[in-house]
Amino acid sequence: MIEIHEFLVAILRSGTPLIYVTMAGVIAQRAGVWHLGLEGLMIIGACATIAGIVLTGSFLSSILIAVAFCIVASILQWFVIEVLEADPIIAGLGITGLGIGGTALAVQSIFGSLAAVSAPFGVPRIGSAFGPYSPLSIFVLIMPVVVFGMWVLLHRTRFGLRLSSAGEHPAAARSVGANPSLMRLIAFCIGGVFCAVGGAELAAGSLQIFAQNMVAGRGFMSFAAVIFGGNHPVGGALAAMFFSLAGVIGIRMQIHFGAVIPHDVLLCLPYLATVFGVWITGRMRGGAKSAAHAAELRDR
Amino acid sequence: MATSSSRPSALSCRNIRVAFGEVTALAGISVDFPTGGIHAVVGQNGAGKTTFARVAAGLVKPDAGELSINGRNLRFGSVASARKAGVELVHQNFALPPSFTVAEAIEFSLDGEIGLFSRRQLLERCREYLNSLGMDIDPRRRIRELPIELQQAVEIARALVTKATVLILDEPTAVLPPTSIESLFDRIRTLRDNGVTVILILHKIREVWAVADTVSVLRNSRLVAGPIAREETDPDRIGNLIMGVGNHDSISHNNGKSPTRAAEPLSGARRETATAQPVSLDTVLEMKEVCTSVRTDEPCLNRISFEVRSGEIVGIAGVEGNGQLTLVQVLSDFVAVSSGEIDLCGAQVTGLDLAHRRSQGLRIIPFDRNREGLSLTSELWKNWSVRDLVLRPPLGLVNPSKLRARCAESLAEWGVRYNSTTQNAGSLSGGNAQKLILAREVDNTARLIVAAQPTRGLDIGATAFVWSTMRKARKRGCGVLLISSDLDELFDISQRVLVMLSGRIVSEFAPPFDIAKTGRAMTGSRN
Amino acid sequence: MIKRLEIVLRPLAFIALALILCGAIFECAGYSALLMFESILDGAFLHPGAWEKSLRWALPLFITAVGVSISFRCGFFNIGAQGQFYIGAICAAFVADALVWAPAAVVVPLGIVAGMAGGALWALWPGVLRLRSGTDEVITTLMGNFIAGLILVYVTSGPLKDPSGSGQQASSRILPPSFRISDSHGVSPTIVAIVALVAVAAWLLVNRTAFGTLSGLAGRNPVMLQFQGGRLWQLGLSSFLISGALAGLAGSIELFGPNGRIASGFLPTHGFTAILVALVANLSVAAAVVASVFFGGLFSAALFLPILAGLPSAAIDLINATIALFITAKFSLRKRIRLGRAPP
Repeated sequence: MIEIHEFLVAILRSGTPLIYVTMAGVIAQRAGVWHLGLEGLMIIGACATIAGIVLTGSFLSSILIAVAFCIVASILQWFVIEVLEADPIIAGLGITGLGIGGTALAVQSIFGSLAAVSAPFGVPRIGSAFGPYSPLSIFVLIMPVVVFGMWVLLHRTRFGLRLSSAGEHPAAARSVGANPSLMRLIAFCIGGVFCAVGGAELAAGSLQIFAQNMVAGRGFMSFAAVIFGGNHPVGGALAAMFFSLAGVIGIRMQIHFGAVIPHDVLLCLPYLATVFGVWITGRMRGGAKSAAHAAELRDR
Repeated sequence: MATSSSRPSALSCRNIRVAFGEVTALAGISVDFPTGGIHAVVGQNGAGKTTFARVAAGLVKPDAGELSINGRNLRFGSVASARKAGVELVHQNFALPPSFTVAEAIEFSLDGEIGLFSRRQLLERCREYLNSLGMDIDPRRRIRELPIELQQAVEIARALVTKATVLILDEPTAVLPPTSIESLFDRIRTLRDNGVTVILILHKIREVWAVADTVSVLRNSRLVAGPIAREETDPDRIGNLIMGVGNHDSISHNNGKSPTRAAEPLSGARRETATAQPVSLDTVLEMKEVCTSVRTDEPCLNRISFEVRSGEIVGIAGVEGNGQLTLVQVLSDFVAVSSGEIDLCGAQVTGLDLAHRRSQGLRIIPFDRNREGLSLTSELWKNWSVRDLVLRPPLGLVNPSKLRARCAESLAEWGVRYNSTTQNAGSLSGGNAQKLILAREVDNTARLIVAAQPTRGLDIGATAFVWSTMRKARKRGCGVLLISSDLDELFDISQRVLVMLSGRIVSEFAPPFDIAKTGRAMTGSRN
Repeated sequence: MIKRLEIVLRPLAFIALALILCGAIFECAGYSALLMFESILDGAFLHPGAWEKSLRWALPLFITAVGVSISFRCGFFNIGAQGQFYIGAICAAFVADALVWAPAAVVVPLGIVAGMAGGALWALWPGVLRLRSGTDEVITTLMGNFIAGLILVYVTSGPLKDPSGSGQQASSRILPPSFRISDSHGVSPTIVAIVALVAVAAWLLVNRTAFGTLSGLAGRNPVMLQFQGGRLWQLGLSSFLISGALAGLAGSIELFGPNGRIASGFLPTHGFTAILVALVANLSVAAAVVASVFFGGLFSAALFLPILAGLPSAAIDLINATIALFITAKFSLRKRIRLGRAPP
């Protein structure tokens, strides 16, 4: 039994940051933008949280700092994509690079070296009442509420309908007086908050440490979860769980079969699961014919 | 005019000017539509009708002028302000996200705040609302699953949900089968009786006479008449106003979109095809019991059999979405044939890809010239030479300057107006873009030309050009398969017209064509 | 003429914009922006011997960038150059390791071919997934980068491990000197010849063959090309393969040339920078020559920065990232005015 609890704790621990960031991807995707800046925003969130804790000594203010930074970066991304009409994919990669480079610069200038920064404490834990789950952070506890809230927001409110119409049929949004560009700005800002929380959970949820390569593609994985999850909050959360399950299985197998299978191969599992996920999605969408559809939009 | 002095006009505008770059869309329009009644606005393509509708709805911001609704001045370029004042626009191609359910599509039109709802609430509210309009539509169905006339009904319901007092419908009849037009008109009359002022953008005069109380005419971005009460005028006069008196006679003889033709009453319009040249016996296309089974938005093809002979124009009539798109896709090998056979010039091509079929003389003028026919962001010469390039070995060397020169030669021959062969195709006007496609597709080695809606969105001159091109091709011995939703066009230039309904060919007509009979065949009604 | 001028000026303007933004960030972080730009210029081009160093980074960068631009032209966002570069280097390293007894004249060409094949293979699967089942290539190639990175770690700490290597960074055994096509400075006649060959061949392919024109059209509007009977499948897959092969070539040049070995996580930003080179060059082969020298210069300056200005070399990553952010912007005043009210 202990095994199962440990297993679940591991999945929740690695899955929760992914899920938060996936929510950011879902809302942006609904509003009609491919959000490839998730990786960068997540790094910014993680770095700002740890640096905030070290510098201010307060968890609340550090999370607010992280949210502020992520929202600023999100607005920058929105500005470049919407106003300057840059390619969302390349601009997203640019934000990612900005996150990686910017956090490195920040860490160097604040702490004097690029070594990992550790914080004295992290996100508050849910407490001993939860037995084997007590080491989990409160963000894990809030996560289901957030996913449900996202579903309500997107599928059960007029605002959500308008936001989705901005992505699916901008002319329709415009004809009911909604401004698609503004809708995307709102989506990006909400996404910024989620990325900050996701980054905070990653860095301060269990380890309380920020290292240069700690995000390691999780943002991109979250983006894949958006697609695999059918652009739906619950689907996206399940997809993110699936990817983290693959990762946890990899680590478990390493413990048991480490001698037989090289551990780098096992580390590949979440990435392979991601490829598998988007492959399945592509197949369900009717294969190569629809792939051409995405590209043709560039002709305008 | 008919403005009543006691009540403010429902919609009144002064000196509205709109220019898109160098193109003037509206050159100072001033018009008053009295409250109540059905007001038609007519004019040719490009006369500025749609722009006018979009200005009133706040979607286009004019450069100058004033607009007031029920006496209240409107802030320009703001949809929210227009809707608040009570103006709603029903778009020609419907502004409804296809993945939404009917209930969602109506809900998202409502104004304001976050608007939390539960599914049951939403459905109940929507059902009640639709019932109050006398529409029987399941609010749970998705927009993309609805037939086109129901989509239009939903769009009208969506527009009225904010208690609009002025409803503008942009070419509402263009997408409908003839039999649904009457029920649309009934619906519009009911709205009028409930006190809604309806402004109808139309281009067929017979429809104006069927429904409208007043008529206004736009020509060349100006208002040339109106609103005139229908009783005070007659179709011929309006026709002359639309065309501009004088050049009317010179164009109408080869143009089915000409107003006199369109003005004929709905029933009993008979006409002969102008050309009586004999059709040869060689078939260029033979479809034998062709079926498809790939799921698309359209019904699958169901045992389609027909032939196109050399020197013949065969028209395919039908309400859009009855398999015409699939037919073109089958001919161009985008959709696989599940059973049956396609023969091109006597040779079986069923399993062969489009490159092979094209090398045997198949040419396609696709439905959507900006998406399927041209790459708007590529240079003219590339767009022109692509037909030749796909047949060359991929690594074979080509000489771009030679291609550009040949392209320039060909474009000059076809009368395409352009500056340089290196300009992007997107900078051409609609008519010139279609000429570029014709210059590419209609060459001496063409044997069968599949033309899908080749004149959609073109002005009269370009339309006439396209038609004369087809006639010439036919005289040279090409076969032409013309797919169109415009019966006037089909009757004017085809030797035979086949009607498609739900993926089958349901009837075949030969001249003299009867618009009423064909219309009934298109909708499958018995009588 | 104006159009031509705009093509040249636009990337320059956006690079300037990116540099200004970066300067502001540096100032905020407490560094002197002016000093930084000075030392970048110094480290890239003015310092004695700087040109040669810049060129050393520019040469492989150019090869990968040309590959990237070929797949981008065809409309496929193959952003997996990094992974293809790694797999190419790994394949070449395996060949060199297995044939360590054989003459260099056999091993080096064979290794380069193996590197190209490996890179192509690493682009093949995303290509097939994309073209057969519509799997988005952006994600698959990205994931391919991470997987290739892990494979590199595995290879350098497993089969090809250099037992005498220090613990810091696992790396393969260094190649015998006879296999090397350049010394550690990385600019040798052989490498320059290979790059020149690639440049000429790629230019011909893009500008003077049916493939070049058709793949350009496919990138802009694949539907239109399909209506012309174009074989999107053939064009797309060849673009994937060519871009992968070129990245693999760059990887094997790194191995046989300046590096002499492969180390885990070496040149981690090579692929991303190559994408930038391709975009700054507006996917043109000729312009990529200039762009790759520019980014090669930035790269070599990155090694100078800590010495000259006390700045972390992450500064260069930041500059690259901001350039990426802006480089695809379509913003232009003229267009803005016209688009303000798009015709219906």
